[in-house]
Amino acid sequence: MKNLDSVLAAYLAGWAIFFLYYVSVARRAEALRKEIDRLKNSLSRSK
Amino acid sequence: MLKTVAGAAILFVLIAFTAYLAFNYAPVERTMGAIQKIFYLHLPSAFTSFLALGICFYANLMYVFRRQAKWDWLGVSAAEVGLAFISVVLITGPIWAHPVWGIWWTWDARLTLTFVLWLLYISYLLLRSMIEDPDKRALFSALFGIFAFLDVPLVYFSIRWWRTQHPQPVILGGAGSGLEPRMRVSYLLVWVAFTGLMILLIKARYQLEAMRADVEELRRETEVR
Amino acid sequence: MALLSNAAALLGKELRTEFRSRELLTTTVVFILVVVVLFSFTFDPTSIESRRFGPGLLWLAFLFAASLMLQPCFLREQNNDTLSALRLSVSDPFGIFLAKLLANTFFLLLTEMLMLPIFAVFYNVHILPVFPQLVLVLFLGSLGVAIPGTAFSAISAQARMRELMLPLLLLPLLTPVLIASTEATAALLDPNPALRADWLGFLAGFNVVFLTALWLFGEYLLEE
Repeated sequence: MKNLDSVLAAYLAGWAIFFLYYVSVARRAEALRKEIDRLKNSLSRSK
Repeated sequence: MLKTVAGAAILFVLIAFTAYLAFNYAPVERTMGAIQKIFYLHLPSAFTSFLALGICFYANLMYVFRRQAKWDWLGVSAAEVGLAFISVVLITGPIWAHPVWGIWWTWDARLTLTFVLWLLYISYLLLRSMIEDPDKRALFSALFGIFAFLDVPLVYFSIRWWRTQHPQPVILGGAGSGLEPRMRVSYLLVWVAFTGLMILLIKARYQLEAMRADVEELRRETEVR
Repeated sequence: MALLSNAAALLGKELRTEFRSRELLTTTVVFILVVVVLFSFTFDPTSIESRRFGPGLLWLAFLFAASLMLQPCFLREQNNDTLSALRLSVSDPFGIFLAKLLANTFFLLLTEMLMLPIFAVFYNVHILPVFPQLVLVLFLGSLGVAIPGTAFSAISAQARMRELMLPLLLLPLLTPVLIASTEATAALLDPNPALRADWLGFLAGFNVVFLTALWLFGEYLLEE
């Protein structure tokens, strides 16, 4: 099949966008989860 | 952590499924050959992006009238995800066009409209980054989002009329021509999969916003102590 | 109608304020002049090419000028803290927007009409035989720029980097106005001039849509 490398490039590029977006959201969510735990701990300690 | 892995797993399954449909199930197109298979990524992305932007519009309206933060969270999530899908359309288009027509870009009606749409929603996100107060940010970006959405059909019609009067080689036309039933099924199923992908991504982004609000709340509580 | 009399009074205030100093008008005219001159360096304005590119360049110049000219619209109120006083002075907040957008349309139209003869001379186009029709196109197009422009002036006043935000928000949205106005203008400057009722109708429709949106959502744009 001709042009197969273009097809591959398109699919890789497309899915890369979705993956990168999901990964960036997931990482920020992880960081926030840790922050929430930290704040909750400091609150319960100060009680 | 488990939720993230589960999400990534679903993502992977969706990719594999759509790839299978595009490459194994759907037959090879007669005139264009394998390059046509890019359409299974290109077209469903376009439709899904419209869906996402419609959700953004609804969320914007809801925020202006109800002023509940959750609508603002939904609005920004839908706008970002919609933007991701539009970006896929904008990238797969030229990758398709180059081997077929020898040029990367052309100002045909669909691509131009997609690019303007992309600009509108980038502006929406940029506006949000330029307003610090959360309530003001939510309100004024929602108002801009409403105006932007109202503009979309107008942009579509003006570009279409303009292009029918000054025609260009129809680069991305003919997508609906000669649709074998297996192709039609493939398009439909990929679109369903993409809608699922959209929901997954919006949910993840929405939860991020909700967590941000939690952090703010907790920070305020610790300061009070 | 209280709305119309309020709007008329505010319109009078807007016009009086501007004509006292005329700084907005003069800077806008000079800006368009500069843009038109610079454009002339990018291609050779022979008669044929002028007709092809001229209308588009003219409207681009108007759009850029407008996105600068619309900045002070709500910024002035914000800087002088007059927005709350303005809101108290009218029963319907739409009156404020009506006054401002009519004033902005008028200023835009004034600068465009001042530019037309200069444009005609520089680019060798005949405007006299189609002058009234051109004014109609300019009016509908300027309205199309001023209505969303006035709304976005209120939005960008809330943001940082507002001098850049206003053009950024406004220009992609004005794509239909740019296309319709350019097409209508080009048709009038053609050797066989024609009035494009379809594009003018489209511009009118555009204006109705955004005027209605402004009427529905104007009060929220004024929230502080």
